[in-house]
Amino acid sequence: MTRSGTVATAPPTISAARAVDVVKLYGTGHTAVRALDHVDVELRRGEFTAIMGPSGSGKSTLMHCLAGLDTVSSGSVFIGDVELRSLSDKKMTALRRDRIGFVFQSFNLVPTLTALENITLPTAIAGRRPDPQWLDTVIDTLGLRDRLSHRPGELSGGQQQRVAVGRALAGRPEIVFGDEPTGNLDSRSSNEVLTILRTSVDRLQQTVVVVTHDPHAASYADRVLFLADGRIVDELRAPTADTVLDRMKGLEQ
Amino acid sequence: MRTVALRDLRSHKVRLALTLISVVLGTAFVAGSFVFTDTLKHSFDTIFATSDKGIDTRVQAVHGYQAGVPTGLLGTLEKLPGVAAVQPRIEDDLVLVDEHGKRVDTGGAPSVGGAWQPRTRIGDPTRIVDGRAPARTGEIVINDGAASKYHLRPGEHVKIVVPNAAVQAATIVGVYHVSFDTGGYVGALFSRAQAMSLFTDGRHYTAVDLAARPGVSEQALTARVAAALPTGLEAKTGTQVRDDDAQGVANALSFVTYILLGFGIVALLVGTFIIYNTFSMIVAQRQRELALLRAIGAGRKQVRRSVTSEAFLIGLVGSGLGLGGGIGLAFGLHALLDSLNLGLPSGGLVLSTRTILISVLLGTVVTVLAASAPARRAGRTAPVAAMREEFATPTAASLRRRTALGVVVAVGGAAVTVAGATASKASAAASFTGLGLVAVCAAAMLLSPVLARWLIVPLGRVIGRPFGPVGQLARTNAVRNPRRTAATAFALTLGLVLVTGIAVIGSSMKASIDKLFADNVTADYILTTSTSVNVPPAAAVAARHVPGVASVTEIQTLRASIDGKSRIGSSVDGPLTTVMRVPLDAGSSSTAGLRMIVSHKFATDHDWTVGTRHTLSVPGVRPVTVTVGGIFKDDQLIGDWAVNGNVYRALTPQNRWSDDVALVHASKGTDLEALRANLKRVTNDFYVVNVRNRTEYQGMIASQINGLLGLLYGLLGLAIVIAILGIVNTQALSVIERRREIGMLRAVGMHRAQVRRTVYLESLFIAVFGALLGVSLGVGFGALFTRTLRGQGLGTLSIPWTQAGLFVGLAAVVGVLAAVWPGIRAARTPALTAIATP
Repeated sequence: MTRSGTVATAPPTISAARAVDVVKLYGTGHTAVRALDHVDVELRRGEFTAIMGPSGSGKSTLMHCLAGLDTVSSGSVFIGDVELRSLSDKKMTALRRDRIGFVFQSFNLVPTLTALENITLPTAIAGRRPDPQWLDTVIDTLGLRDRLSHRPGELSGGQQQRVAVGRALAGRPEIVFGDEPTGNLDSRSSNEVLTILRTSVDRLQQTVVVVTHDPHAASYADRVLFLADGRIVDELRAPTADTVLDRMKGLEQ
Repeated sequence: MRTVALRDLRSHKVRLALTLISVVLGTAFVAGSFVFTDTLKHSFDTIFATSDKGIDTRVQAVHGYQAGVPTGLLGTLEKLPGVAAVQPRIEDDLVLVDEHGKRVDTGGAPSVGGAWQPRTRIGDPTRIVDGRAPARTGEIVINDGAASKYHLRPGEHVKIVVPNAAVQAATIVGVYHVSFDTGGYVGALFSRAQAMSLFTDGRHYTAVDLAARPGVSEQALTARVAAALPTGLEAKTGTQVRDDDAQGVANALSFVTYILLGFGIVALLVGTFIIYNTFSMIVAQRQRELALLRAIGAGRKQVRRSVTSEAFLIGLVGSGLGLGGGIGLAFGLHALLDSLNLGLPSGGLVLSTRTILISVLLGTVVTVLAASAPARRAGRTAPVAAMREEFATPTAASLRRRTALGVVVAVGGAAVTVAGATASKASAAASFTGLGLVAVCAAAMLLSPVLARWLIVPLGRVIGRPFGPVGQLARTNAVRNPRRTAATAFALTLGLVLVTGIAVIGSSMKASIDKLFADNVTADYILTTSTSVNVPPAAAVAARHVPGVASVTEIQTLRASIDGKSRIGSSVDGPLTTVMRVPLDAGSSSTAGLRMIVSHKFATDHDWTVGTRHTLSVPGVRPVTVTVGGIFKDDQLIGDWAVNGNVYRALTPQNRWSDDVALVHASKGTDLEALRANLKRVTNDFYVVNVRNRTEYQGMIASQINGLLGLLYGLLGLAIVIAILGIVNTQALSVIERRREIGMLRAVGMHRAQVRRTVYLESLFIAVFGALLGVSLGVGFGALFTRTLRGQGLGTLSIPWTQAGLFVGLAAVVGVLAAVWPGIRAARTPALTAIATP
């Protein structure tokens, strides 16, 4: 507690999100599972971070906690300078809406809304109009201009996921989280989506964090964090698919 | 995994409960109507088996308007071979006034007077339980039920009002016991001499009962008696007498049965949609599970059967509970009607095997049938669906076939309706319109998925606008699965078609009466009674002497046979045109002497014209021949024809002379309020007469109509309750179905309140859609039915727009209320649901 207290009063940093000494337990007593075991991590602004690890390593849990979708058992999580544990549901919801973007593995679009309506949904929920210039930029980056009036059912998986990326980017969030964003896509669509995410970091200075088990997807990142048994065990900068694969092999042994 | 399983089970429980309730409500009403009818029938059978005990033959007049059986016939009957005993019956309606001058109002129960039979020769003797038997004029005994109910006791001085006699003072000298007692029934027994003078013309008995000697069958005796009777009299066997009596009462109460049964059918029909919806959603939700079953080798039939057997179980349990509910309903209804003094017999409820069979069979069959389409869909689940994991997507199945069928049925229904609207015969018009209503409702059901899209989209745009994206989501969700929306909304539609239709007819009834009075009645005061005893002629005479009264016009109902056919018309004493407008087609409106006036329709139908002569006859009385002196435009006040009051008095037994209504015309410049006070004062002595001006009279009729409408609304309100359950059901299941989507919305920043609002709005759109459809159909058909009844006095169509609007508004409120719980559930969906694999 003292540690998180000192961090909370620390001056603003360049981190988009931070986890400080985070522990996440599932269940209680003997059967308790420690999904995150004193994790400290800092995600820098304008950087593309990939979180990797074998199944059950806690990589998804870490992302859920960082994104305010799940609560931590102890430690603190910050989005920018805001400590998440102290937030009410209402404030947390508003924070997710205004400062965070999500891309899910299974697209999760509203089937009754058009592509454009899905993209602008979070802004609309907030009762705001999207910045038209920014929206144009996003749509061009996605390459979806001729698909805007289609409903999700009329789009391919890759196109649907591009719409989902558009939804995440349209509100100009501080950070975009992706939970296996290419998990349901073929390799061509995967590349498209990853390229878009990469572009958003390079050109639009977006901060992106993805959880993935695919070394190829991780190779698009600036930095790769490796998790095993709820701890960060390794880190790699400027990764290639091969270097990532090597580290992963090392982890699994 | 366990929490998922538990959560599934919990939602399962809710789903089961809601489906069960819809089955239970439907069967409860069907069972209730059967139990109620059976109970009544059984009670009345028992009553008449007791009260008409020992009768082998009854002699009575063929027509109710005859005086009865001549007293002189008694000797002839006694001498017939095989006759063991002969006993005359003397009875008629009366009104009892207690010692405080308060009228004993029996409500719907009979209030009759009769003769005390000292030595009963047929049936069980009447037993005095308190005091003694009446010995002379002015002494009466009353039944124990009335004594305790109306707090009457021996020694009390009461008054008796009968139609054509001065109000009689009487003293209760005793209380007798009747083994059968109906709620509120009053039976006052007089000495035979007084009964003869009060209830007959002194020369007739109401009827004569006979008992056969041992060895003589009732048929044999009845045949022998019938052969000895003069014309105008008939003989019935004792069995027939008991059956007819019981049937008569049962018929009088049959409307309650029909309403209940009709309601049960509507409830079941409405329930069908809920059951269909529930099972559709169960199947959709369990698709992965079903597909898994298919993948590991379960056949289509097996999967289908698993769903069907679930429906069968729900149907069985639901209708079993419904049967219990029906018994409770019958009990409650009985208690309710009993408290209204409708003359219901007391006695245990009758639950027949037929009731059990029909209710359980109906409930189960309806449930299984409603679930059959979803069950078939379940059977068609592709094994590969187990591998898919998607959001609830709109049903891909085309609505084309359903819509095409709907259009065909709609065209057919419209054609039949048009035929009904243009049919000249009222009965044909009504049945065509009824058939049209059923067809158009069926068409509306078939078309409502398409209509839902057409109506909800613009509706949602308007109502949803202030809610922004929440409104848009609600709107698109509402039309996402048009079949489900249609089925949910249609429950409400059906209920509202009936409610609105009845409201239109009721409102038209009131408007027609208002118009009738406004256009035709010019009387300043109207004297009537609210009892079975009409206005005593003496009351009209008294009114005539009140200062400021220019004239009093008495109108009576005259029943007689005209040219060989039994007819009902009016007779008039006093000037007709001063109290009502009688627009004429031909001749004059006078009924003086032996002149008759005839309605245009009746004259045309029977080829009567001014100058034709017709003979009015009643068996046992000298016939009267009248001449048509005028033909009036059809109206509801006079009826088919009218003659002079003298003709009435010539043909009707003197003891029954009484006025349906006495219309008072005030002299110019009379203070009407003072006149009212005076009229009240002079008629007060008759206890039964009410003095009302036109407005008050209209108000009284309107309130009677309102009372009837209230009863119908109450019952139909329950159809709305079922519809609400349907909305709760659909919304709750939709929310479960869309958990992942709602989770995603929460993840991308939708507030709980916004999630709730989305569900409320969606429900509101569905409810308002159903209500708009129902109200418009109801208004349309209410208007058409009113048109078919224009010959029966519904000349003015009045559509209660405010009420119709209120129904829609109420539906909106109901829609939101029904969504409260599903909305709260939806808002509790954790954001992580969007990510976690289901």
